[in-house]
Amino acid sequence: MTKKKETDSENISRMKAALDLYDNAPCGSVSFRKDGMIFDLNTTLSNWLGYNKNEIINKITLPSLFKIGGQIFFETHFFPLIQMQGFIKEVYFDILKKDKTILHGLINVREIPESDDQPVTYQATILDISDRWHFESALLKAKQKAEADSKAKAEFLSTISHEIRTPLNSILGIGNLLHKTPLNKNQKEYARLLLHSSEHLLSLVNNLLDLSKIEAKKIILERVDFNLYDLTTILQQTFSVKAKEKGIDLIVNIEKEVPMYLIGDHVKLNQILTNLIGNAIKFTKQGSVSLSISATNVNQSEVRLDFTVSDTGIGIPKEKLESIFQEFSQASYDVSVEFGGTGLGLTISKKLLELHNSTLTVTSELNVGSNFNFSIEYPKSENINSKKDISLLITEEHSFSSYHVLLVDDNPDNIFIAEQYLNQWDVEYKSAESGLQALTLLEKHNFDLILLDLQMPYMNGYETAKKVREMSLDKSPIIIAFSASTKGEVKEQLKEAGINDHLPKPFQPKELYEILLRYHHTSHNNKITTSPLEIKTVKKKTTEKNNVKPVSKKTESFNLARFEKMANNKPEYLKKFRLSTLDAIISYQKDFQKAITERKVAKLSELIHKSTMSLYYIAAEPLSELLKECRLILAEDSKNETLLTAKVNECNNEFTCIINGLREA
Amino acid sequence: MKSANDIDKIFNINILGNGTRPMLFAHGYGCDQNMWRFLYPHFESDYKIILFDYIGAGKSDLSSYSLEKYDSLKAYSEDIITICKHLELKDVIFVGHSVSAMVGVLASIKAPELFSKLILIGPSPRYINDGDYIGGFEEADIQELLDTLDSNYLGWSRAMAPVIMGNSDRPQLGEELTNSFCRTDPEIAKNFARVTFLSDNRADLDLVTVPCLILQSKKDVIAPKQVGEFTAKSIKNSTLKILEASGHCPNLSAPEVTAKAIKAYL
Repeated sequence: MTKKKETDSENISRMKAALDLYDNAPCGSVSFRKDGMIFDLNTTLSNWLGYNKNEIINKITLPSLFKIGGQIFFETHFFPLIQMQGFIKEVYFDILKKDKTILHGLINVREIPESDDQPVTYQATILDISDRWHFESALLKAKQKAEADSKAKAEFLSTISHEIRTPLNSILGIGNLLHKTPLNKNQKEYARLLLHSSEHLLSLVNNLLDLSKIEAKKIILERVDFNLYDLTTILQQTFSVKAKEKGIDLIVNIEKEVPMYLIGDHVKLNQILTNLIGNAIKFTKQGSVSLSISATNVNQSEVRLDFTVSDTGIGIPKEKLESIFQEFSQASYDVSVEFGGTGLGLTISKKLLELHNSTLTVTSELNVGSNFNFSIEYPKSENINSKKDISLLITEEHSFSSYHVLLVDDNPDNIFIAEQYLNQWDVEYKSAESGLQALTLLEKHNFDLILLDLQMPYMNGYETAKKVREMSLDKSPIIIAFSASTKGEVKEQLKEAGINDHLPKPFQPKELYEILLRYHHTSHNNKITTSPLEIKTVKKKTTEKNNVKPVSKKTESFNLARFEKMANNKPEYLKKFRLSTLDAIISYQKDFQKAITERKVAKLSELIHKSTMSLYYIAAEPLSELLKECRLILAEDSKNETLLTAKVNECNNEFTCIINGLREA
Repeated sequence: MKSANDIDKIFNINILGNGTRPMLFAHGYGCDQNMWRFLYPHFESDYKIILFDYIGAGKSDLSSYSLEKYDSLKAYSEDIITICKHLELKDVIFVGHSVSAMVGVLASIKAPELFSKLILIGPSPRYINDGDYIGGFEEADIQELLDTLDSNYLGWSRAMAPVIMGNSDRPQLGEELTNSFCRTDPEIAKNFARVTFLSDNRADLDLVTVPCLILQSKKDVIAPKQVGEFTAKSIKNSTLKILEASGHCPNLSAPEVTAKAIKAYL
């Protein structure tokens, strides 16, 4: 009897303790039905939330305590998963308290299966992780900031590289042209060095750009049909000169099983192989460099190709084998001094291979040689008619007779350079300095192909192309866009505008030639008469000496010396340069006034960027400096209005001076 | 050009059912084709069932995604047309949940010849209230939702996969069922959310010519009743049916009711 009493009271106190634990446990507890309706919760949770229990029970559903994102998530993911597996562990939710502040909670749920007459219910335990949440948020923020900073740096790098490419375009173009003019021996050597260095600079800038694009994940793999044998033939042709110069053999060894037609990104493959073969030749003084390709794992539709580039060069010390793939690291400082290069090629190759889910491996022995090895899986192409690589056609002779090209670019210098090439290849062309002008020309003349700059004021390249496509022309021309944009042209956008192809600036004459050839080749199968890549020497025309004198003013607001040089003794070019610059300067002054009146730093920056080349060509340093000073003043929070007014006046004086000067000249 | 095989892989296309008339099921935001698992079996005997994942969802090809391309619902609607053309579908019955309803609307405007009927489950042409228009959300709500996604802290952007191990009381939870859990790439989901919740397709509704059935849950936090009514009023030739179901996914929470309503309409 006494024993039973004791047991009862023990039981009661145990139950009390259990209830007490449930109600005051250090975690929240809530029970809900299938429709989410809460039918019980413990005191801890009701205290946390700031509700009385009776304000919640049978009145509020569990998801309605979440913010909207949480509600959607609960419905689409959380609850279905509970139903599927009967429990869920530690999922984070923002839980809204009565006072609308947030409880950061981890929720565990378990299903209480139906029994007797009781339908299925769910019991959730909630842990308050606010402290942890704050720490994690701080960490996340720091991580985001670090990532944003790194992205900003990558973008800065990319922008700067592009900025460098634009003037480089002119340097390369002029260098190419200069090289082909009659020069004495010394001058010829200078021109060669100029060309060589600017090509080197371009490849450096291109590498930086590639790397920043890869880092910014802006590079995607193309899937196109290509001919592997064409690709290797071109590689062999490209490198044969260099190999011969150094007296080493260049061997390409492709196993019989390797299929000719594949689907994949041949541009990236070419880039990887170019890097590896280029390096191999660079670091090999005698012996040979070889590219071997073998096929394994061949099935009906896919093939795995193993590529090996081996050399008998200086080799890589063991301890450097890992670091050679890092940015800007060559095996040693001396290496970079002796052999040149940026040390970016391997990094880029490795990253391009990562895009292919592949890796680049290296084995090397000092003073014996190195082997670089990678594998890529390609689907086989059934399209055995895949286009013959146009580079192979270059060695053939070709004539562009009766091929009509329209050149559209708002920058007269770019037009001038492109015109020189077109002249040399005997391509018939007309030039327009705006989209509108191009449309007018198209109404009167037939063109086979349009070379179209994308970034033009008023009507940009995209708009121009769309308008061209809307015209009912007898013959719809091919449109090739060219641009040095920082954003990179989006294929869809180009396609949507009806643009057929794209040539990034700065381009080498060879690239322009190739693209002309490609489209000419597809439209005609012309008889071949001249050898175009051997750019014909510009015939020296004995034009009378230029009468236009450099305009000299007190501190010389500008002069035309640069244009005179570029015009190459052709007064008509000089006039064209002068007048187009005049138009540009007049519009820049308007833009300037607008930016100042509206107090818009961004507009002024845009103007400064836009006008850089024009001001450079006419050597308008004072104006260029003054514009930058205005920007500085404008960017300050507490603007010095007096100083600003003074500088604006000076700018306007310079503008007037240049405009009058250009008119008079 | 993408080869036929590619398109099947890119969108993880699955074709089921014994019928010939095609029913194309397009899943909603944050989900994949698994969201139809309780619904499509009701139609298997009479229809050809086509399931797919949008790029970024389920087992689609993530590498085919690009931020630039998928910056509006238009790109998703073009994918629908691509799939229909690739499978040479005709007289398609399009079943779209949530945002997919609008994707279907856009596809049907662009290529009305492909579709015979649209079944729109919980459609919303605009989620944000605008003057007299009730979308169910204030701009701040949506911004908050997008911020939540950005903060990468909500469970759906974390590894939230079912656990198979140690679940002996549920022997039916095999690998197959585990795989039926909706998956979505968190980065793409963020952008998709932006495209979805900031879209405004009210003006497009007038242009729909294909007959529509609009299914609306009695209680839906994401697309309230007024939105269903607005959609029904704006689309000519449409029927609105309020389902005895609660929640935004009647196809998950009340598949029988949903199937019955669709069958009655067809």
